[in-house]
Amino acid sequence: MARIGAASPPVGTKDALARARQRAFLVPDLLIEARRVVNTVISGWHGRRKRGIGENFWQFRPYVEGESLSRIDWRRSARDDHIYVRDREWEAAHTVWLWADPSPSMLYQSRTASVSKESRALVLVLALAELLSRGGERIAWPGLTDPFTARNGAERLAAHLTHAGALPHRPDLAAVRRFSDVVIASDFLDPVEETKEWLDTLARRGARAHLIEIADPAEESFPYSGRTEFTDPETGEKLTAGRAEQLGADYRLLYSARREELAAWCKRLGWSYTVNHTDRLASEALVQVHMAMSAESGYASGVRA
Amino acid sequence: MSWLPLSFGFPAILWGLLALPVIWWLLRLTPPKPETEVFPPLKILARVLRREETPRQSPWWLTLLRLLMAALVVMALAEPVFNPREKLPAAGSGLALVVDNGWAASPDWERHVATAERLIDDAAASGQRVLLAFTAEKPNADIGPFDAKAARDKLRATKPRPIPTDRPSVYARVAAALDTMPGASIAVLADGLAAQGDDAAFGTLFSKGPASVIWAMPDRIATAGLTKAENQLDGFALTAVRPSSDATPRQVTAGAFDDKGRRIADAAITFGAGAAVGTGLMKVPFELRNDFAAIRIDGENHAGAVRVLDESSKRRRVGLISQAESDQAQPLLAPLYYIRRALSPFADLVEPQSRDIADAIPQLLEQKPAMIVMADIGNIPEPAHQKLVEWVNNGGLLVRFAGSRLAAAGNDDDLLPVRLRTGERSLGGAMSWTEPQPVTEFPKTGPFSDLAPPSEVTVSRQVLAEPTADLGERTWANLADGTPLVTGARREKGTVVLFHTAPEATWSNLPISGTFVEMLRRLVQMSRNQGSLAASAEGQVASLAPYRMIAADGTLVPPPADARPLTVGRGPVPVTIENPPGLYGSEDGVVAHNLLGADATLAPLARPRIAAPVTEMRYALNETHDLKGPLVAAALALMLLDTLAVFWLGGMFAGRGRRDAAARGAGAAVVLLAAGALFFASAPHARADDSKPGDDQAIEAVSKTRLAYVITGDASVDAISRAGLDGLSRFLVDKTALEPGKPAGVDIARDELAFYPLIYWPIDPKAAMPSQEAIARIDAYMQQGGTVLFDTRDQYAGGIDANSASPATQRLRDILANLNVPPLEPVPSDHVLTKSFYILPEFPGRFNGSPLWVEASLEAANPEHRPVRTGDGVTPIMITANDFAGAWAVDANGDPMFPTVPSDPMQRLYAYRVGVNIVMYMLTGNYKSDQVHVPALLERLGQ
Repeated sequence: MARIGAASPPVGTKDALARARQRAFLVPDLLIEARRVVNTVISGWHGRRKRGIGENFWQFRPYVEGESLSRIDWRRSARDDHIYVRDREWEAAHTVWLWADPSPSMLYQSRTASVSKESRALVLVLALAELLSRGGERIAWPGLTDPFTARNGAERLAAHLTHAGALPHRPDLAAVRRFSDVVIASDFLDPVEETKEWLDTLARRGARAHLIEIADPAEESFPYSGRTEFTDPETGEKLTAGRAEQLGADYRLLYSARREELAAWCKRLGWSYTVNHTDRLASEALVQVHMAMSAESGYASGVRA
Repeated sequence: MSWLPLSFGFPAILWGLLALPVIWWLLRLTPPKPETEVFPPLKILARVLRREETPRQSPWWLTLLRLLMAALVVMALAEPVFNPREKLPAAGSGLALVVDNGWAASPDWERHVATAERLIDDAAASGQRVLLAFTAEKPNADIGPFDAKAARDKLRATKPRPIPTDRPSVYARVAAALDTMPGASIAVLADGLAAQGDDAAFGTLFSKGPASVIWAMPDRIATAGLTKAENQLDGFALTAVRPSSDATPRQVTAGAFDDKGRRIADAAITFGAGAAVGTGLMKVPFELRNDFAAIRIDGENHAGAVRVLDESSKRRRVGLISQAESDQAQPLLAPLYYIRRALSPFADLVEPQSRDIADAIPQLLEQKPAMIVMADIGNIPEPAHQKLVEWVNNGGLLVRFAGSRLAAAGNDDDLLPVRLRTGERSLGGAMSWTEPQPVTEFPKTGPFSDLAPPSEVTVSRQVLAEPTADLGERTWANLADGTPLVTGARREKGTVVLFHTAPEATWSNLPISGTFVEMLRRLVQMSRNQGSLAASAEGQVASLAPYRMIAADGTLVPPPADARPLTVGRGPVPVTIENPPGLYGSEDGVVAHNLLGADATLAPLARPRIAAPVTEMRYALNETHDLKGPLVAAALALMLLDTLAVFWLGGMFAGRGRRDAAARGAGAAVVLLAAGALFFASAPHARADDSKPGDDQAIEAVSKTRLAYVITGDASVDAISRAGLDGLSRFLVDKTALEPGKPAGVDIARDELAFYPLIYWPIDPKAAMPSQEAIARIDAYMQQGGTVLFDTRDQYAGGIDANSASPATQRLRDILANLNVPPLEPVPSDHVLTKSFYILPEFPGRFNGSPLWVEASLEAANPEHRPVRTGDGVTPIMITANDFAGAWAVDANGDPMFPTVPSDPMQRLYAYRVGVNIVMYMLTGNYKSDQVHVPALLERLGQ
């Protein structure tokens, strides 16, 4: 019986540097892939959806005494007896922190999946970087770069990643400020409590997080049967199941319970939680995250607990 | 291993069992290899998996299974044998096995076979050839010596026979065969019953100085046999015998069965202490007794315990007398015609030789009939009358019919039930007002009380009884006007019955009604046979086909192939393989042929004095079982289970989701199939080999049509015959569609003749006269449809004198004197032989002039009817003097060997045509004769 899944590059758990180099090789390709994905998503970055300083038309409203005359839209006012003012949409540069989980467990790719989880995470992150850069937002990789604005943000981020070397397992979220968006692509396979613990910082700072769970279909459906020895790619721990098929039901229960708990927690905080399977298209997740970021959501909500 | 009947061929191999702990250790250390999978969410899985311990070793039951498998293989290699038996001493150059398979061996036959098989096995193990003879087989049965396989086949093919053993002749054959195997050991598997000639038989058998003798006797011999079953007045008297060695008082139960095998009566047969003969009486009503078909002793499954009953125990002899001239031209008017027709299905009819009443009645009474029917007999001469009265008083049933003679005769108080008025009464007719009278209800007192009165019967003439006070109670049937039709009266033990009308259809139509038959049947049932009739040499000789045979186990079965018709009337026929016990005849009437005669005794067989060392043996079933095969099979089955278990552990069946159940079902089916295959593989296939010696020649003889000639013993004559038939065969191939095979020379004394349509017999006066048996064979061949062409080859050898006979002719006469030769005639001009292929006016061979003699056809007397000859008969004999073979004979080049006389090529051609015509006549019969009808048939069809 052929194996159901394998770690795509056979790497030693300790050899983070080698893996970083491997990732560096991947980055240009992933950048191209990210561009392709971005092109399939609705192009353009929507504004803040409120009146303010910007370039795009937002609305006509009746002139109010005391306003600057220069703001009157004469072309519109000439049509009837009222005087209108042309409002513009507020467009302000915004900081979005992007982070993809570099841990060894992300290297997993099963037979039914088209790409490994890490590659999918990087594609998504770079695609978002591209998307945000085009929209003029400031992007950053926690612990790797400071927020920057550039038309070629994705390339710059990729360059940073290429030269980064070993990356820490947890992002350094100290630099994240209020009103920032944080995009975290990971498999979130750690116990929920641990995950909540390190994400709690963001909640306290009032940042809005978008969690993208990259899931392999084999992890979710557990297609194993018979006598099977399971190996953890992170710790190297081994488990032998006498009859794996008997574990399936319980496992799936626990697996989905973890996901639901995280999703519920995110919802309570006003965050978004998106699941992307590696056998599906990356653009699906991209659209969802994009929508979630575009949606007006309470930055002020902060920590309610 | 005294506590377990188990022995091992190679006990040393059992030390291999010591390796089992090592195997155990190895098995425990090597668990089945798991699939390895990388699985990131291991922490989640670990929470699930915590409940199940991770097996690092194979499960204990799998280990046990494998250990068991190893142990079984070791045990199987040690060749264990369950219930081992001791081998019998193998001495001498061979083994002569003499097995009794008569009726007494039948109950224990399986043990006999098992014992014989063991002996054969032992003989085979020491490489001896086996002489196997059965004492109740055909006298020409093959006795070997065989190799072990053939002997075993023959042993299994042989069944016990329901006939007595014939030890003297079989032992003599074995003794003769032992000449080729000096110093062989002899095994006698006896059935325990002594028979006539045993001493001489054993003397012959052991005369060759056997190396050793194995003597096997059954523990128990057939305990009871029925010797007599007699229908008496008050019941069936049964007589049974038991072996004289059995002295305790005993009672056995016998049951009577009807012809459908239903048990309809029981009786106990009691043997007194020390008595070898026991008797019993089966008291059942007379009607029931007539249904008895067989009587069987319960619990005895051999042919001796069964006695079939034929009609003689219930069928009555009925004497018929009439005074009328028997005119064969008018049988329907003969007085006895209807009586005979009515009685013959259920009674034996006896008719006197003499026409004279005074002689006829004593002749009849000698036959001791149960009933005498006298049709219209008036006065009976005195001595005969006296005898008849005595016979009636002793229990005879006299039935008289009226007629003109009786009506004219005076009264006879002794032999008529009522006083008669002289003369007869006529009812109806042109000059009378009276009507013919019908029959009314039968009176309740008479024997016909249960018959329905026939509505269609009318009586137009009758004799009248004098009215007396007791006429009513003597009347058994009445006419509508109250006059008696049948009267009857007791005369001491006997009865006299009078039908007041004639036995033919002139006085009434009673004789042609079904009621007449029923009435006569009632009367016959009333009668009793007056003693048994001794078989007499001048009695009727009949050959009765086998109908129902008693099998060796006492059941009634259809006749086997080797049963021959039973010839009755020539005294007692012994029970032989050709006449096994049973019923002979057809379902209309049978004759019982029983195994044990009335004076039979069952004597146990005593072991004779034998010079050689004797090993006594008992019969026992073969209880030795070689356990190697079952053990290996069990190991294989365990291996299969192990494979299935490994698949199961490896998740081969599960995890397929919905195919799970199907896979399990398939697994079960595989196990079942394997088990079934093992079972059937172990079941031995024994097929009886029914080939016989001489089959090859027979198949060769019948696979092509072949002409045959009689081997006279004179080489030159035989060579000419062969060359002649060869030449004729060539001519047939050239001219006709028939392609005969090579001519066959037959020895009429030995060879089977039935294969050849035509046998050419050149008469050679110098050759020895054929034996009576050979001539009898030729006779049978001719009776069964073969044809013999006699050729005296002496057309010009005879003298001038018409009465002088050449030596060949004289020899032919000698031969024909012993044959049933039909009337002969020279081939008439319209005979089929003249036109069966060629139109031939004469039948020349090397010589010309001798007529060809054939069987005279039916219309030889009136020549004008000749063209339309009837009859299917092909003449069984042809006689010529023209030396056909000489004319036909050709050498290897196909040139004629002998000149014709006179030398004329056309004559040779005619001779060949004669041969073609003869062969065509042989093969097609009178088909050509029918051809003469074709024009007439076509004309009738309107063409």
